[in-house]
Amino acid sequence: MRRDWHDLLGGVAMVATGLFVSIYSQLHYDIGSLRQMGPGFFPVTLGGILAVLGLAIALPAWRRSGTARPLALPEMLAILAAIAVFGFGLQTLGIVVATAIAVVLASLPAPRPGWIWRCVLAVAVTALTWLVFKHGLRMTMPVWPEFPG
Amino acid sequence: MTAFDGLMHGFSVAMRPDVLIYCVLGVVLGTFIGVLPGIGAMAAISLLLPITYYISPEAALIMLGGVYYGAQYGGAVASILLRLPGTPQSAVTTLDGYPMARQGRAGVALFASMISSFLGSMIGIAVLIGLAGWLSNAATSFGAADYAAMMVLGLVAASTIGSKSPVKAFAMVVLGLILGCVGTDVNSGVQRLTFGQTELLDGINLVALAMGLFGVAEIIGNVRAAEREGSPPHVSLRQLLPTRDDLRRLPGPIVRGGALGALFGALPGTGSTISSFLSYALERRVSRRPERFGEGAIEGVAGPEAANNSAAISAFVPTLTLGIPGDPIMALMLGALVIHGIQPGPLMLDARPDMFWGLVVSFGIGNLILLVLNLPLIGIWVSMLRIPFRWLYPAIVVFVCLGVYSVRGSSYDIAAVAVIGAAGYLLAVARFNPALLLLGFVLGPLIETNLRRAMLIGRGDPMIFLTRPISAVFVAATVALITAAIWGALRKRREGLGQR
Amino acid sequence: MKHFDSRTALAMSLVLSGAGMAQAQDAWPTEPVHVYVGFPAGSSPDVLARLITEPLAEKLGQPVVVENKPGAGGVIGVQQMLAGKENYAFGTTINGPLTTSPRLTADVGYDVAADIAPVTLIATSPLVLAMAADAAPGDVAGFIDAAKAEPDAIAYGSVGQGSGAHLTAELFADAAGIQMLHVPFASYAEVTTSIIGGEIDAGFMAPSAALPQVEAGKMKMLGITSSEPFAQVPDVPVIAGQADIPDDFRAELWNAFIAPAGTDPAIIERLNAEVNEILKDPAVQEQMLTMGWQAQGGSADDLSQRISDDTETWGAVIDRVEAQ
Repeated sequence: MRRDWHDLLGGVAMVATGLFVSIYSQLHYDIGSLRQMGPGFFPVTLGGILAVLGLAIALPAWRRSGTARPLALPEMLAILAAIAVFGFGLQTLGIVVATAIAVVLASLPAPRPGWIWRCVLAVAVTALTWLVFKHGLRMTMPVWPEFPG
Repeated sequence: MTAFDGLMHGFSVAMRPDVLIYCVLGVVLGTFIGVLPGIGAMAAISLLLPITYYISPEAALIMLGGVYYGAQYGGAVASILLRLPGTPQSAVTTLDGYPMARQGRAGVALFASMISSFLGSMIGIAVLIGLAGWLSNAATSFGAADYAAMMVLGLVAASTIGSKSPVKAFAMVVLGLILGCVGTDVNSGVQRLTFGQTELLDGINLVALAMGLFGVAEIIGNVRAAEREGSPPHVSLRQLLPTRDDLRRLPGPIVRGGALGALFGALPGTGSTISSFLSYALERRVSRRPERFGEGAIEGVAGPEAANNSAAISAFVPTLTLGIPGDPIMALMLGALVIHGIQPGPLMLDARPDMFWGLVVSFGIGNLILLVLNLPLIGIWVSMLRIPFRWLYPAIVVFVCLGVYSVRGSSYDIAAVAVIGAAGYLLAVARFNPALLLLGFVLGPLIETNLRRAMLIGRGDPMIFLTRPISAVFVAATVALITAAIWGALRKRREGLGQR
Repeated sequence: MKHFDSRTALAMSLVLSGAGMAQAQDAWPTEPVHVYVGFPAGSSPDVLARLITEPLAEKLGQPVVVENKPGAGGVIGVQQMLAGKENYAFGTTINGPLTTSPRLTADVGYDVAADIAPVTLIATSPLVLAMAADAAPGDVAGFIDAAKAEPDAIAYGSVGQGSGAHLTAELFADAAGIQMLHVPFASYAEVTTSIIGGEIDAGFMAPSAALPQVEAGKMKMLGITSSEPFAQVPDVPVIAGQADIPDDFRAELWNAFIAPAGTDPAIIERLNAEVNEILKDPAVQEQMLTMGWQAQGGSADDLSQRISDDTETWGAVIDRVEAQ
């Protein structure tokens, strides 16, 4: 069965998000009155609206056929991993090591085999990063790995 | 002091060799910072602030100002070439600038953005000189109800931009509004939707959101696609230049965008991101062929770029005339003055005319330098598109991370980029427009706090929105806009039925 | 190389004790010292911190790096300091994260009594009660009379629920026996705009936020919350003792130098001495005053006392606000 899966799943995700926000906010935050609107007023209302909109997206998509666009899963994983390593490593590994690892990780899904260009790229980007952010902009962050005392 | 005397006085300050050098330094650095994704004027100015302890206050303010509006020029470059907004203000520029680049018209898009930025700034400067007094009065007479009504109008006007399906567009706006709720609620102090994360108490980081939604999502989708398509065809000098048709389309959007930006920049708390969104919405509305928007309409680049640059200039109005900073960047600028023992306030124009007029003249000089500097650079920027994407994107990933880190030195925000990037990519695949999410995110907190504040001040009476004249005008305009939209939809439907 | 040195120094400070402590202290610091500030560069707490760290770097013979880690009203800065390197991570903070934040924030991630070692108070700042220049009340007594006309007759602005401006106003309202309408804003800039625009009536704010508008004739200051007149605005009368307000009424914001609890006591002593000496410099005092801060100083125990006193005072106010 070919359906418009993108709108269907997107719509369902909106319904789920909307319901979650609305119900969670209803349980945890005060809705208040018109004069003194509580912190729950907006999230509860907005969550409800989002759920309705999600339904309006998903329902017609069930009956409609659509062309599926492929998901670039390897690229997504590699780039998210690069960002995560960089984020968690910046304080402990220092900017040099974190940049080099992140560049190599991010370059993995590139459709060109070989390690040499990846290493050259890692060295070049690391040097550039150090030059621009550490030397030029003087951002405060460790350069080399720090071992906690 | 008349404006003419003031300007003469301003020239004598702005042309001082030391001041001129810092002005050039500021605008060059600003352009560069603006091009780098994520790292914006805010981060650059806070990093530069310690240096300003050692230079004269005029030079300090002029340099920091240069960074601020210079970043607006640079921000458009990455938006157009890579669909990666250099600053959140230029996110809208991706909507039509990037399609233009894909059609081999990157040079024209860049030219349009530069010339619009320049002319927008000039409009901002004219407003600063001519209407500073009037605008500063307007800023204090705007109350919570007026802000809320104005923002709702903006939201309604802009909520369908850049999407074929109104329902999906509206869903993105609402999702943005929900994300805007995250953090400490100003009115009650309750920590909403933070799930115990201290880092979320001040809300989701705007830069992390913009970088994740646009930058990371775009990179993921392009790693293989860009490689398959190969480098774009060689662009001759002729193709860098706008056609006569392009030039004919520029003046309208620039004037409208510049005026819109000047008004919004001067109102505390609104700022240039919103003015660029609204300018885009306005251009689409006044266009005879709105369907071209999103497919590479030059008006969609010119309007927003004129608006955000004009807003960057007029943002100085409340800062300098009232001593009230309109946004965090202006608060930093004030901080720079306070360090030098100058307390900006209503009296500053009389007490330190050198400061005010020197700054005004330096805006003109700085923007001229930016134009002269950037026009020849267009060729270089365009040739960057010929570099294989695999050499570029790993560097962009790292730069995005550091740009986000520069905002408040938070590793948490980098991790947030990964999460937002994943969601952004999935949304992009399913053809949901991230620009609308950003719009909702920026406008949401403004609408909510002002709406609730207005109800508090009105002691619970919603009539406050109709009894205040400014608010009443906005409410009327909003109602008219919605009525027109419904009427248009009904008519279309009837015509459709008639044909059948 | 750098790490070898720091580890040696650390090993020394661990091995040596008693008389040996002096030796470790001579060795410290062998690398740059980090001072965490929970507010962005250019903000008032940041400028205050830099007034201290610049001369401190000279005295210590090592760079003192200000790390701006803004967020959650300064709480993030304290958290980051606690995660920093032992004996090299310190912080300056406003009173909130040490007194009211643990009450108001779901989980700040630290226990002030157990995790924070006070070093010294840096400066204090009172708040002024400001109104539009054309408002009817001329003094604090007139203000209280106007407020007594009916509950919520007067709307006042603050910089957020639980902020110093909000709690001070509620402390005042309780002392005066009045009830005012609280309208939270995000910044003093918004509060002053709203007062000038006539949307709200009053607000407690930092003297430097009100002063430019007062000089321009747009606002007036009715009273100040310190126990003595404040040098930046010497003409503004103290609120304590006026109308029915008790003589011991006092509300001050402050800024302090702190360390993580595990820090070497000798280092804390050294820092206390150095910072106190910096605070005695008339040039530093002058600069602080133009920003609305009164340089203070004192012992670590003084700061400890201040933290527990304020936690109690403001805790009681929060109880009352929450009960409403």
